[in-house]
Amino acid sequence: MAKSKTRVRNRIRTLRFESGEMTQQHLAAQVGVSRQTLNAIEGGKYAPSLEVAFQIARVFDRPLEEVFQYDPVASGS
Amino acid sequence: MGSSFEEKSVWVQLSSMVLVLGGYFVVAGSMMAGGVNTLIAYVPLFVTAVVLMVIVLIAGHILAAITGRPEPRDERDRLIEWRAESNSSWVLAIGVLAGISCMVLGYESVWVAHLLFGSLFLSSVLGFVLQLVYYRRGV
Repeated sequence: MAKSKTRVRNRIRTLRFESGEMTQQHLAAQVGVSRQTLNAIEGGKYAPSLEVAFQIARVFDRPLEEVFQYDPVASGS
Repeated sequence: MGSSFEEKSVWVQLSSMVLVLGGYFVVAGSMMAGGVNTLIAYVPLFVTAVVLMVIVLIAGHILAAITGRPEPRDERDRLIEWRAESNSSWVLAIGVLAGISCMVLGYESVWVAHLLFGSLFLSSVLGFVLQLVYYRRGV
């Protein structure tokens, strides 16, 4: 797996799987970002703004901290 | 991961700039080396380069739109552009300072103009390269 550029971790891949294998394209369209940006968020290459993070959590109907976690010790950098 | 329309657009802008304006600087450089010191003599070459660049940019963006669905810019695209501009603008600043210095030292206006134009070119090329690096490596 590629190195993470951010300390913000997420469970988007798992949550997409639990939501009937929701595609990145479908989630990206609901949030209003490109599929490539969603891929970067999911892969830890980009930490989204609070607004986008809340929108992603809202799509899965989960609280923000169930979707995103902050790792104080960077494992990839 | 496939490239987004914005990333393809950066590739188009970088390629057209390097090809067309790079060609301009090669020809203009040989003219300057040949002793052409009047700025007006470079105008036809400059206009040709600008028109060519617009044509290549339009063709490149049409091609990018055909190979992938265009999507509006999002917050990551804007952040990447801001960061790349922030990290490449020093080239233009150095060029402007060098241009002012050349004016003070009495260099021909053709040299000053090309020094300023060249620093704008290099600053833009560095900005596009940095954008591509940030798209691939993350921000």
